[in-house]
Amino acid sequence: MSRFIIPLIAVVLFYLEPVFSLFSPVTIGQNEYTLVPRLVIVFLIFITVYYSRKQAIIYGIVFGLLYDMYHIDIIGVYTFLYPVICYLTAFIIRQVHRHILTVMALSIVMIALVEIFSYLFASLISLTTIGFDDFLSSRLLPTLIANSIFVGMFGYLFKQLFDKSGEQLAGI
Amino acid sequence: MPRFFSNKRLILLLVGVIVLVALISFSLRDRQNATLPEQLVKDVVGFGQTLFSKPTHFLTGTLSKIDGILNTYEENKHLKARLQEYASTQSELVDIKADNKKLRDIIGKQESLRDYEPIQATVISRNPDQWEEKVIIDKGTEHGVRMNMAVITANGLIGKVVLEAKFKSTVELLTTENPNFRVAAVIPGEKPVFGLIEGYDAERDELIMKRIDSNFDIKEGQKVESSGLGGIFPKGLLIGEVTKVSTDDFGLTKLAYIRPAANFSMLDHVMVANRLSKTNDGTDGKDSSSDEGEDES
Repeated sequence: MSRFIIPLIAVVLFYLEPVFSLFSPVTIGQNEYTLVPRLVIVFLIFITVYYSRKQAIIYGIVFGLLYDMYHIDIIGVYTFLYPVICYLTAFIIRQVHRHILTVMALSIVMIALVEIFSYLFASLISLTTIGFDDFLSSRLLPTLIANSIFVGMFGYLFKQLFDKSGEQLAGI
Repeated sequence: MPRFFSNKRLILLLVGVIVLVALISFSLRDRQNATLPEQLVKDVVGFGQTLFSKPTHFLTGTLSKIDGILNTYEENKHLKARLQEYASTQSELVDIKADNKKLRDIIGKQESLRDYEPIQATVISRNPDQWEEKVIIDKGTEHGVRMNMAVITANGLIGKVVLEAKFKSTVELLTTENPNFRVAAVIPGEKPVFGLIEGYDAERDELIMKRIDSNFDIKEGQKVESSGLGGIFPKGLLIGEVTKVSTDDFGLTKLAYIRPAANFSMLDHVMVANRLSKTNDGTDGKDSSSDEGEDES
């Protein structure tokens, strides 16, 4: 059962990301805020913590590659970033208590890391000229808020899903 | 404290990094079009994407319809006031069109840079990490979409096609910060003023029109259109309105800030403008103009 449901959820989240980004940027008052949906990486982090690190890294490579080829047209950015984030999560979660709130907080931190890395990459190849302050206020913060809503809503469900599947392979 | 990497993993990581840097530099090359695997991925993933985007557009469409109904009274009052004006403009336009056609017949010029065949398309996704302003539409080479064609909405120009696949294609929006993205533009008038739309000011949220001859006089509020002289875009697609004029960094040419006419958030239905009068190679494309102006800031 879980063999099919995990890829299915990942695919659905992958397709939902660009749908949410159709609504962005959001204009509130004078300022424009860019919200970047990072649903797939949140799911990957939960796979890493509650299911299996190896599987998470494989999913990370596959979805990173699809993401690069379909959206970014620069192959290699997310293909690299997704597995590395999974690896890092697995490394950190071994050091701390595996409580649901810890995992939620960890996934927010990881989203921030992904955002900062993608900002550094974008400025490196001059896709963007905005400064770091601007990036923090108009992009990182709104993104983190929007994604923490998602994590708060679905984090517990994800945990239940992996608990039910009964295969506690995490942390291998 | 466990070790972060074992030796085997370290080697794996290094090999991975090398492969990825190679891939990144491959895809950052100034390439003409996507490779076959990329096109396949675009088509296949894009097909799944439509299943998710169509319901979303339906939902937002319904919501905006409800919103429209709530505003009907206000709008109707406003529109009634404009109706008189509209009727007279309409009759004038018909007159001028007929005149134009007659004159064209006299000089035997059939093709116009203005004529284009619109290809209706729906936006199915927007690049989720929004560094590059790209959207994907559900029409591809099979429907006649080609590289560098202009993409418009009812309000005006929004961008151009940068990658084509068989059934899907990628559109880069005008608001991109890509320095190689250029559109030949004109401010129509008694003496038309030509320039290039190059770059986007993220702070002002406005486009920048560069290389305007400093002898010409530009006023705020003038409309800017595509000139059609780039070779691929049709003439007369509205781009926006001048909001500020200044000189460029070197003081040789003028520079104008342009507020775009189209709205770039929540795009759904767009048109790809397939120009009827064809040229072989146009400067609207990245290829033929990428050798000049790289040092322009």
